[in-house]
Amino acid sequence: MKAILTDVTKCIGCQQCVLACKDYNKLDKDMPRDWHRNDGLSARNWTSIIHKPDEHYIRKQCRHCIEPACVSACPVAALSKSPEGPVTYDPGRCIGCRYCMIACPYGIPRYEWDNPVPYIQKCNMCYSRIKEGKQPACTEACPTEATIFGDRDELLAEAHRRIKNDPDLYIGKVFGEFEIGGTQVLYISDIDLGFLSYPVRKDTPVLPETTAPAMSAVPPAFFGMGAVMGGLYWFCKRKERIKREKEENKE
Amino acid sequence: MDRVKTFKSILWALTGLAIAFGITRMFFGLGSVSNLSDATPWGIWKGLNVIPGIALAGGGFVMTAVIYIMRREEYKRYSKITVLLAFLGYITAATALVVELGLPWMVWKPIIYWQHHSALFEVSWCVMLYLTVLFLEFIPVPMEETERLAKLRIFLNKYKIVLVFLGIMISTLHQSSLGTLFLITPEKLHPLWYSSLLPILFFISAVAVGPLMLVLAVMTMSYLYRKPLEKDKMANLAFGFMLVLALYGLIRFIDIISAGKLPLAFDGSWQAWIFWIEILLLLVIPVALLSFKKMRYSTPVLWITSISAVLGVGLDRANIAGIMLIRTGPVYIPTFYEISISFGILSAAILVFLFCVERFKIWEVKWEDPLEKPEAPPEFGGPADVWLGTPRIAGRTVYSLVFVLALALGFAMISSERIQSAGVEKVPASKARGGDTLFVDGNLDGYGTMFAHEDHIQRFGDKKSCDLCHHMNIPLDKHSGCYECHRNMYTTADAFRHDWHASPAGAKINCDKCHQPGVQRTASSAKTCDKCHNDLVAQNAVIKFEENEALSYTDAMHGLCVSCHKQKARVLEGKEDLDRCPTCHKVRDLESIPSEIKMQFIDTTFNHVVIPFPDLVNRVKIEAEQDG
Repeated sequence: MKAILTDVTKCIGCQQCVLACKDYNKLDKDMPRDWHRNDGLSARNWTSIIHKPDEHYIRKQCRHCIEPACVSACPVAALSKSPEGPVTYDPGRCIGCRYCMIACPYGIPRYEWDNPVPYIQKCNMCYSRIKEGKQPACTEACPTEATIFGDRDELLAEAHRRIKNDPDLYIGKVFGEFEIGGTQVLYISDIDLGFLSYPVRKDTPVLPETTAPAMSAVPPAFFGMGAVMGGLYWFCKRKERIKREKEENKE
Repeated sequence: MDRVKTFKSILWALTGLAIAFGITRMFFGLGSVSNLSDATPWGIWKGLNVIPGIALAGGGFVMTAVIYIMRREEYKRYSKITVLLAFLGYITAATALVVELGLPWMVWKPIIYWQHHSALFEVSWCVMLYLTVLFLEFIPVPMEETERLAKLRIFLNKYKIVLVFLGIMISTLHQSSLGTLFLITPEKLHPLWYSSLLPILFFISAVAVGPLMLVLAVMTMSYLYRKPLEKDKMANLAFGFMLVLALYGLIRFIDIISAGKLPLAFDGSWQAWIFWIEILLLLVIPVALLSFKKMRYSTPVLWITSISAVLGVGLDRANIAGIMLIRTGPVYIPTFYEISISFGILSAAILVFLFCVERFKIWEVKWEDPLEKPEAPPEFGGPADVWLGTPRIAGRTVYSLVFVLALALGFAMISSERIQSAGVEKVPASKARGGDTLFVDGNLDGYGTMFAHEDHIQRFGDKKSCDLCHHMNIPLDKHSGCYECHRNMYTTADAFRHDWHASPAGAKINCDKCHQPGVQRTASSAKTCDKCHNDLVAQNAVIKFEENEALSYTDAMHGLCVSCHKQKARVLEGKEDLDRCPTCHKVRDLESIPSEIKMQFIDTTFNHVVIPFPDLVNRVKIEAEQDG
């Protein structure tokens, strides 16, 4: 399982990752549009740098959840979790329902609102490069090694090591280790990164598991309803017949 | 004008408007007519047409269960109406989906690509299957008009009970799966609405409101066509399903209280107020009014309760599907176009409904006592025996006129600016401020670039060098600022004032002066400005003047500076970084900006995004490769 670790304290906000991403994925030029959110991500910007007070730069991108809500939400499996870890998108399957945008707890998938033939756009961790054995364009471009690529276990160990070595600097937590089932894009930081997701409570379940019970109840509900209705039908018919027989007997 | 004509004319007008806007949406994308955004991907079409529409179509399966399974023969008269209502409800939802989906022509794909974890996969299958069932249930009605299909009709009617069973089973899944859709948003949906019981709540409320929708439809029809209303049957129906509504309220409140969410309903937020409005419409009014036997049988009470319950369930669905989802972006207010499309789809469905009522034998109620007839002696006619009013101008003349006018009006109302700008915010570019060092910050957001103007003049050989950059100047101005022509921050602007040049009050120029005679008069075939204004156009400029269109301010700045910088980066020693973004965009150097230039509203919490310009980077790369 591949992963990306971003160390917020090392980022200088130079945007080389943003440029490398646009360059490799051949994303068109972008302008501020009415439908953008103010985090810099858009259908033509798969990663962005968010500027927070006191020289903090946070790179936002798809988190590549271990249990992705978007994959479980997509009705046609256009989004899928690849064996290496990245959540990839197959435009040939998409129907444009935008349920993934509703489901994503990080608000990552973006839409081409100005295109008559629109598709979902999001980071795919440069899956084609990973398959070639290379690292994603963004981590390759980073001049300060603020964002690095590797195996998730190794990067987690590295993150914990950094936190342990400098406990005064970092918040003692790897963002993305456990929340909502864990993600493959990890952050360590000296400021809280709660703003990267929708408000997550302590008891927020792993999202695909919220719909799973209802989805597994589908066949019993279908045939159960049929059985109940069948019983009711038989009962009402019998009642009718008894009533009719009684009337006939009276006559 | 009589009731029917007035009502139908309004519906035709709304339909016409919606078709005009719908065509625009198909050609120019969702952004051209809607305010949907990355923060609000589902809007009024989902929240008003699709999800409430399907809830209100729930009458189809509930009433067929009452009539054919519980064998309450007294309601058999309404079986055709209720099936038609459900059919049209689903058609409404499907039509709205065609507008709403990004790729509506791909809507069949869930048939091939299975993904059984997705609630929406279940929903799409249910829609397709139930539409088929409803079609088969309804089709015998129009078939009655012709004798040719009698065999098929008899066959369908004979096995109707199979369709009824299938309809109920599919609807159970479908109504509840719409609730399942929102189970995946525990961190977005407001806690007063979010519940793990959503599928069950959706199902029960749909069971309750479907028949009340039927009551509303029958009452509207009896008003429009001045036919008698079987008030006692309607009241009994309303009362029966009011009990289901009460059960829904009970489960919902038990759920809210047991989860400890009740205090949220009293915190005075706008969400709490909407919650109470919803409860008032959906629960309090119907239950309170229908509980009393005396009030149940009065027409106004039936009107109020059915409208209130329908609005209440509609509001509940709209809340869950959109209003109560937490937003992290611009506030979503639907555009006029969006609302028009929404109502247009509903109007078209109502028109089809009324057409079927007038044309087919759907609703066979007659006045038993002729004295009970309403004010004007109605003319009954046609196979359905409904009153169509006294025609002065034929109905179809009025309707087609209204429809065509509305369609034309719709096209006229589409804002060309909205379509051309394609969602780009129009930001006027403003003057660079400062003296020897200019602060170039076209959109005044405080994040600009310090440009050493005097320094550049010195380097390029004093005053003679001005026209290297000031490549085109407006009349009577030697060195016009960039913002004079590059007027927009992100979109191109016209640098040429055609009106003024052609007008007798202005330049009074003959067309042939710029446009060659005999050639089609277009901007591309016309002479460029430097053919006449050779004193205003710089000869040795870095940027050559090629057309009359001025690039956007950002493109112009980048084009001019970077083209020069990348040349110098190769030539000058120790200046290899000259063409890199941070050379000019020193975000960290904000402190070094002189305070008299620095804007007061520089807000360091603003999520500043330097918009990268890959086309430029590519150009640099290509040229570097060419140079070897």
